[in-house]
Amino acid sequence: MGTAPVSACCHSEDPAASVLGMERELARERTLLRRRLAVAAVLTGLVMLASLPHMLGGVHLSWLPPWFTSPWSQMLLSSPVLFWCGREFFTGAAAAFRRHSADMNTLVAAGTGIAWLASLVATLFPGVLTAEGLPADVYYETAAVILTLVLLGRLLEARARGQTSEAIRRLLQLQPPTARVIRDGVASSIPVSTVVVGDLLQVRPGEKLPLDGVVEEGSSWVEEAMLTGEPTPVAKGPGDPVIGASMNRSGSFTFRVTRVGGDTVLARIVELVRQAQSSRTQVQRLADQVVGWFVPVVIAIAIAAYVLWFLFSGNGVLAMLFLVSVLVIACPCALGLATPTAIMVASGKGAENGLIFRSAEALETAGQLRTIVLDKTGTLTRGLPEVTDFERLPGGVLPDLTLLALVAAVEDRSEHPLAEAIVAYAHRRGADVDPPAVEAFEARAGRGLQASVDGKEVRVGSPRWLAEAGMDTTDLDPLVDRLERAARSVAVVVVDGLIEACFGIADPIKPEARSAVAALRRLGLEVVLLSGDARRTAELVGAEVGIVRVIAEVRPGDKATVVRQLQEQRTGPVAMVGDGVNDAPALAQADVGLAMGTGTDVAIAASDITLLSGHLGGVPAAIELSRRTMATIRQNLFFAFAYNVAGIPIAAGLLFPLTGWLLSPMLAGAAMAFSSVSVVTNALRLRRFRPTPLPMEVPA
Amino acid sequence: MIPFLAAAPLWRTIPQPPAVQVLVAVGGVALIAAELWWFLGRHGSGVAAAEGEQGVQEITITVEGGYSPSRIRAKAGRPLRLRFHRTDPSGCVAQVIFPDFHRSLELPLGATTSIELLPDHPGVYPFHCGMNMVRGSLEVE
Repeated sequence: MGTAPVSACCHSEDPAASVLGMERELARERTLLRRRLAVAAVLTGLVMLASLPHMLGGVHLSWLPPWFTSPWSQMLLSSPVLFWCGREFFTGAAAAFRRHSADMNTLVAAGTGIAWLASLVATLFPGVLTAEGLPADVYYETAAVILTLVLLGRLLEARARGQTSEAIRRLLQLQPPTARVIRDGVASSIPVSTVVVGDLLQVRPGEKLPLDGVVEEGSSWVEEAMLTGEPTPVAKGPGDPVIGASMNRSGSFTFRVTRVGGDTVLARIVELVRQAQSSRTQVQRLADQVVGWFVPVVIAIAIAAYVLWFLFSGNGVLAMLFLVSVLVIACPCALGLATPTAIMVASGKGAENGLIFRSAEALETAGQLRTIVLDKTGTLTRGLPEVTDFERLPGGVLPDLTLLALVAAVEDRSEHPLAEAIVAYAHRRGADVDPPAVEAFEARAGRGLQASVDGKEVRVGSPRWLAEAGMDTTDLDPLVDRLERAARSVAVVVVDGLIEACFGIADPIKPEARSAVAALRRLGLEVVLLSGDARRTAELVGAEVGIVRVIAEVRPGDKATVVRQLQEQRTGPVAMVGDGVNDAPALAQADVGLAMGTGTDVAIAASDITLLSGHLGGVPAAIELSRRTMATIRQNLFFAFAYNVAGIPIAAGLLFPLTGWLLSPMLAGAAMAFSSVSVVTNALRLRRFRPTPLPMEVPA
Repeated sequence: MIPFLAAAPLWRTIPQPPAVQVLVAVGGVALIAAELWWFLGRHGSGVAAAEGEQGVQEITITVEGGYSPSRIRAKAGRPLRLRFHRTDPSGCVAQVIFPDFHRSLELPLGATTSIELLPDHPGVYPFHCGMNMVRGSLEVE
């Protein structure tokens, strides 16, 4: 993904305040619109009643008094509709006109204003029209109906737009308003905004965590699903990080606050979502350009329609109706709203599922992916090696636990991931953890460790090392071969020159890996496995999760190069999925970089999409959501373009010579009002998005 | 269908003297030309942001039926502070979005709110309201 041409200065304001402020603003606008619409609807109803005889073709209705149906009363009734209920269309149009711009207000104000003015002329000087052989008809009801419909459209649209930010609002509401703080040994309930970093907070069963921190005392299971999409509760004990807005299940604990205000994970998620909502897609750039010249062109078409109809019929009133129809049917709003509303809903929906899109472009590109590269360690696997096999050899003499205690004592000196796995295994088996005296410790790179423990000579290392040392490995060889065939790293234990046991160590594959890969392939993507391991090991992992294309033996620094080569070989964009820390250059090189988060770490900068839970199911879900979003945007843009391209010529009277149809300006106004509403409503359908569940059983 | 169609007497054609026809045609074409020139033509160049303290470029933009000024010139590589003063009650302009910067700003009514951007590279960066109807641009040189 290309980097933004410009960088934004950093800031860490609390997004809650500005989002809620925006909400209030929208609510205020809706109340205002509702009031004006109510007044407009009543008055417009009266105007329509007054114009009923005229609309029915000049029939006389005895139950309507003549003073009520007179042009003067219609003028009096319709004027407040235009100039009070709809005054912002006129002031907005005037302000825009002064700065050489034209927008929606211009079209509404011009359309209704012209109909109203023409009627005023007919009311004041009916003789002018009758002298021409025209009836001195008035179209006050047309102006009033159009304006009322546009107001109705605005209200519906404002309501729908309020719903597009629903997901963000729901995220913000996750944070409880108060926290139980323990200061000087006394617990008290205080507003969250007054909590400071370093405060000790108490959480009871069933409560939400107010802020981020580190568990101090006690333990519990915590549900982070609402933030990360991680479906299973996470165990938390002293020293574990916890995130605000997650839900405490059964236990009680206290935690030390590490982040408040705009720095919390929740605030950062909201901020990232808002940043994405403030960006735009490539397709939107086209629509933006069209919107720029749309209104002036529509005005030109309206004037041309007037001139042509006047030349054709000589009937100035008829020509005026065509002019008004063209002005009020055109809807630049639908074009302008097509993309942003869909992006708003989709990025919010993503956040609900633990998928953070950094920009609209990320959504757009992820929807077009053809190739996806999965890093092995930390992405397909847990990223932490575990002992999977502990095999004793026939010649071994020591009991298991004694042996494990000896080995753990030696391995404890090393920070190698395999050593940590062995120590963890020894603890798990219940080996005596009191470290016996270790002397003459020696680490040999790529070989293993050796030391003297309790007077015993202990060696833990690779089978190769033993062979080099000239040991007899006849019994060992078939075992090592079997383990290596199963993609295990093997560590052999030798005590006092006797081969006692060997460990098979592997980085376990995430349980959902196979079904997530199947889901990606079902989406039509070519899945590539990228690994630093030996070819055989990588291919075994590939076979286990169902990936055919395996690129092995890639050093960490070369991952970006591999991604670039794939970009050159493949058509369509290439995505890279990694842990975001070691793979940063590869993530940045890919057209879309997806970083697997760890729940508490939202600040994964190199990625275009962050999967907060680290659950692989998020990858197909993100691609699915992107595709749905892009489909919605395409539908919206198609509808908006098609509506205008078809509607304007019809309003201009193109069909009249062929079919004798003439679109009434009122119907044109209704079409316009509902075209923008339907665009927003279509975008809102994305709220129902649910990722397809991963396939349960995947045949090998 | 009646309410959707214009009333019957309107269908009639009325012979107009050629002079009137020519007048309407010429007037219409002139109006189109004037309107297109007014809305689409270039009218003056953008307003340059002023030099503020510590090398920050500053400009105040009034939000009233549009952005005034709507074309802002600024220099690349230096922070640019835009102060938006919103007097327009329309909810549409309550938010201003800078898509290239991935930033947005809420503008409370009757108040001045500012945003600081760092334009690194020369170019034209549009900004617009939440509904994309009111528009302006930053011309960074």
